[in-house]
Amino acid sequence: MLDVQSISKRFGRTIALDGVSLRVASGEVVGFLGPNGSGKTTTMRSVMGLIAVDSGAVYWNGEPVDADRRRRFGYMPAERGMYPKMAVRDQLVYFARLAGRSLPDSIEAADRWIERMGLTDRATAEVQSLSSGNQQRVQLAISLVHDPDLLILDEPFSGLDPVAVETMKDLLLEQAGRGVAVLFSSHQLDLVADICRQVVIVDRGRVVLDGDIDLLRQRSPLRRVEAQYAHDVERPSVPAGWVVDRADGRTISLSVPAGTDLEHIVARLSAHGEIVDFSFGPPELSEVFVQSVGRTQSNSSGAEPGETGGPDATNATAGARFA
Amino acid sequence: MSSAIRLSAIREMRTRVSRPSFIVSTVLLVVGIIGGGILFAALRDDSRPSYEVGALGDAPRAFDTALELAEQQADIDVSVASFDDRAAAEQALDDGDIDVLLDTEASSLTWNGQETDELAIVLDQAWRTAAAVAAAGAAGLDDAQVDAILDPQPLTSQVVDPDDGPGVGQLVGFASAVLLFISITTFGSYVLTGVVEEKSTGVIEVLLSQMKPHQLLAGKVFGIGAVALAQFTSAVIAGLISLKVSGVDVPSELWTGLPATVLWFTGGFLLYSTLFALAGSFVSRMEDAQSAAAPITTAFSVGYVLVFAFGSDPEGTTATVLSMLPPFAPLLMPLRMVTGAASIVEVAIAALLLALAVWGMIRLAGSVYSRTLLHRGSRLTWREALRRQPGMGV
Repeated sequence: MLDVQSISKRFGRTIALDGVSLRVASGEVVGFLGPNGSGKTTTMRSVMGLIAVDSGAVYWNGEPVDADRRRRFGYMPAERGMYPKMAVRDQLVYFARLAGRSLPDSIEAADRWIERMGLTDRATAEVQSLSSGNQQRVQLAISLVHDPDLLILDEPFSGLDPVAVETMKDLLLEQAGRGVAVLFSSHQLDLVADICRQVVIVDRGRVVLDGDIDLLRQRSPLRRVEAQYAHDVERPSVPAGWVVDRADGRTISLSVPAGTDLEHIVARLSAHGEIVDFSFGPPELSEVFVQSVGRTQSNSSGAEPGETGGPDATNATAGARFA
Repeated sequence: MSSAIRLSAIREMRTRVSRPSFIVSTVLLVVGIIGGGILFAALRDDSRPSYEVGALGDAPRAFDTALELAEQQADIDVSVASFDDRAAAEQALDDGDIDVLLDTEASSLTWNGQETDELAIVLDQAWRTAAAVAAAGAAGLDDAQVDAILDPQPLTSQVVDPDDGPGVGQLVGFASAVLLFISITTFGSYVLTGVVEEKSTGVIEVLLSQMKPHQLLAGKVFGIGAVALAQFTSAVIAGLISLKVSGVDVPSELWTGLPATVLWFTGGFLLYSTLFALAGSFVSRMEDAQSAAAPITTAFSVGYVLVFAFGSDPEGTTATVLSMLPPFAPLLMPLRMVTGAASIVEVAIAALLLALAVWGMIRLAGSVYSRTLLHRGSRLTWREALRRQPGMGV
């Protein structure tokens, strides 16, 4: 189990991490969420020993993580990194060897992952000659080639096409099934909700929410209501505390306080016409996310050092997208 | 050596050695150097010109002896073939079998096409001597007296303060300096671009999650250094072979001084490539690499210029002092060693100072490297880099 205990890091006048704690158990996939600049990458780099934290510590199975232990971790940085002129197979063998595997083991593992990633016919090609999708596969294979106990993946889904997203998803779940602890960051919240039960949400260097996704949703002070009518309906008037999110044509969407009596809601909405479909439930993860970080967005300070916009810049304002 | 250093060193070696440019340049270097020696030996004119003279009729009694003496003085070989028949002799002249026809009865020389001055002078001298001997015989001198006339005590000659241009040692010294400069610059820039490549592609993050910055630095410097050393050593061995086959008189200090350049190369490479690696860690884009390395390249180029400024006077005070300073020693000391200008003490001091400088530089680099390797964005200045605190890498 990975146990990050209250790590803090300051870059000059910027506080990047302000007592971040999180845990990832073996066999568990944990989604690591937060707006850009919230400290996800810094946390991951701290776990991988790329950054010396000012205070706090990182433990694996109760022991402080050192260089030898990190060689049992797999890492995929947000800005992908490989030797462009090195052949795929050589690259995988090299990183397996760096992680302490013997040469025969490394070759066997490299070939296994090359086959698994469907790169058999490109094994001797230079990485720079590969399509970006294939480069992503090699990058992932590098983080896996030494059979790590822990996988730290920074934005593994960014830039993937839908097919590759499915492959990546299957792979993460498969690794967890083998007992690997997986921590990955993402802005694609629907995907996160699909893959993990556990999430950690950080904002401005602090953990603002963490735990089981369903529990976090249940704990939300709001419930989402949607009613479909047989005919077009007027915009309803609602009691104080209720919010009409949408009312057009035959659909009405509401947010109501958790604990509002369901029968009361149905009775109230039925007054507008014949309801043909009705849903009631806690908000989606994306809404929980926006609620938890939204209140700090307005005065959020600049981007996380080193974390650049790049291809996923459109996801930068997750709040706006899911609002 | 830790396995991480070894693995990264091997990776660097494989990367460089497998490049066609390395193989081609090494082969060209070795072939060029040895070829130069062979060419020199071939072009060197140490055979004496030889001529064929056709003699018609009997030459005077002392002519052969006088001709031998004249040949030696003029440093040419003349062989004489006797002809009984004028037509046959003229035919031989026509065919180019003989260079000149000597008609003893007519006391004449007949040339084909053009007169050869040195042969004409030698034959004329021998002819005159023979005539003088004949006259002396006719005047009643005996054979011993005639021999004394033929073979007088020759003048002895010697040169004071010989002015024979730069010696072999100096030429080899300059050549070594050029080769040292090119090799260290070339392979040093591999270190520089190698570091920048790791930073610009982002592979540095994956690497540093598996190894320490100083291991990465050492692996790169040792790996590329081993390849550089192999090439340089090949060149030096080729140089020794070349000197051997050229047939030049090689001063004894060259046979020790030239192999010692390999050690100066090693020290110089370690010093400068560590600096190049440091400079590389200050930038994250390939375009900035050269400007970051500019101070190092400049210092090294100054050393190169100094070689030619003071190399002609390797025993002078300036050359002596400069050759002991670490930044210049790898270029200047080999020249002073092969010319025999450096004393053992001077060499020892220079070697010690260089070793200390390398040690200090590697230590400095090890600590600075970890602060600068993960730096992204604009180029750090040397001042910023040295003041950076650990972990400000991102």
